[in-house]
Amino acid sequence: MQAIVSTRGLSKRYGSSYSVENIDLLVEEGEIYGFLGPNGAGKSTTLKMILGLAQPTEGSVTVFGKELAKHRRLILSQTGSLIESPSYYGHLTGLENMRVVQRLRNVPGSHVREALKIVRLEQQQNKKVSQYSLGMKQRLGIAMALLASPKLLVLDEPTNGLDPAGIGEIRELIKSLPQRLGMTVLISSHLLSEIEQIATSVGIIHQGKMLFQGKLDRLRNESHPTIAIKTSRNPMAHSLLAAQGLTPILQDGFLRLSHLTDAQVARINRELLAADIDVLRIVEHKKSLESLFLELTGKERSL
Amino acid sequence: MIRSIWLECYKLRRRYVGMTVLLMIGVEMGWAFMASSMSIARNPDQASWEPLIAMTASLNGLFAPILAAICVSRICDMEHKGNTWKLLLSMSVKRERLYAAKYGCVALILLLACLVQVLVMIGFGKVNGFEESVPIMLLGRLLAGTMAAHLAVIALQQWLSMALHNQAFALCLGMLGGFIGMAADLFPSAIRPLFIWSYYSGLSPVAQSYAGNQLEFIARDLGTELPMIGLLLFIGLLIYGAGRWHVSRQEV
Repeated sequence: MQAIVSTRGLSKRYGSSYSVENIDLLVEEGEIYGFLGPNGAGKSTTLKMILGLAQPTEGSVTVFGKELAKHRRLILSQTGSLIESPSYYGHLTGLENMRVVQRLRNVPGSHVREALKIVRLEQQQNKKVSQYSLGMKQRLGIAMALLASPKLLVLDEPTNGLDPAGIGEIRELIKSLPQRLGMTVLISSHLLSEIEQIATSVGIIHQGKMLFQGKLDRLRNESHPTIAIKTSRNPMAHSLLAAQGLTPILQDGFLRLSHLTDAQVARINRELLAADIDVLRIVEHKKSLESLFLELTGKERSL
Repeated sequence: MIRSIWLECYKLRRRYVGMTVLLMIGVEMGWAFMASSMSIARNPDQASWEPLIAMTASLNGLFAPILAAICVSRICDMEHKGNTWKLLLSMSVKRERLYAAKYGCVALILLLACLVQVLVMIGFGKVNGFEESVPIMLLGRLLAGTMAAHLAVIALQQWLSMALHNQAFALCLGMLGGFIGMAADLFPSAIRPLFIWSYYSGLSPVAQSYAGNQLEFIARDLGTELPMIGLLLFIGLLIYGAGRWHVSRQEV
């Protein structure tokens, strides 16, 4: 698959500290790439550098196979974006805002109607944007981004501040874009649950560094289940299992083992009973994506 | 560029800039006409164009800097308020072009304001039955001088309004400029040219001086005015260049 966005060693330093450090990001054609990280992780800075709104301290950005530094105008003419919060002229109506973008993008007027229809804002197009709800402003921002039928759509936390209904609405809209309009979407969020429902690929960034990048399925596969066994004599059971080449960890009154098949669990149970050790409980713990994400970005940390 | 200026004008819809300009010009000209009417009532022989032009140029020193500050602020703060810098730059709009378009748009608005000012002055002269014919040359020089001062003041105001989100600073500078513009004639001639606001009255085509107890109005020599206009335009160009350079390098 063709790489739509790729960065190599992308870094941004403010003073002596790095906001983004050595990021190699890869977004392939037709996918919805979820860029995930806690607040202040460096998501917006990375996206700004991809759009040429901020200058990288080190590294390079390639979009559509062309280097951003040399082909910025051409790249931006095929890219739609919504960075941080929606941008709009509050004193103008939704339609007038779209007309401003239409003239700047130099696209036919029919695109305006179409984009407003996609985000379902036709009914409110003649209302002043300052009177819009936050959800409507976000939708207008997306309509502006969609206006020139871009090949790449960059959305930075598009559901920020929306109520659950608004989040669902924006989510469904974004999910439909690759199939409906053949776009590649790069979307950032600090909410795993949101990215999990939209993205096909994911990049996890924390303190400016990329911790994971790949298909969402690969991330799911990394969350191996662990088996916790509680016995009447844990130290003895530990020695018995260790003697068999297993590596149980004694924790909170449970012996924890990972990478076990059902047959192995049954055999361990039989052997413990044969050694006159009562098995009180066998529990399977499956790591959720959430706990995996927390583990990657630092435990107990508020997102 | 014309398209960009037109777009800036389009974006000014419902910003009531035209109304604000007309209101300011109305107050200023009302003041000028009242003062002139009182003067004509006391000295009917002074019912001529020169006192009116001198009075208007003098009042421009007070009102024009404030008017320029308001217009520039209105056109620049909509980008800050709506957080539209990112939108514009992510659409590959060059900041230099946007800067020039905003400058051009304000200059156009203030040129129209100057034309309105000249037209109402002609109307006042006609209504009051000034005997001389309309002094096209003097009024043209008043318009040129005011516009030259406007071009430098807009450059300074735009720099501040674009660089800072809080427009209070820009409006304060406008008011300070108004005070300097009004009081500039009292400054020593050596330091007066340093203040760009002093040129509103400094470039007046009519000078006023006292001959005994009598106030006299004399048309200034065009030859002394042209180098001043040249200098002012050069200062304006420098300020414009510095502002554009600074604002273009700010990160969004």
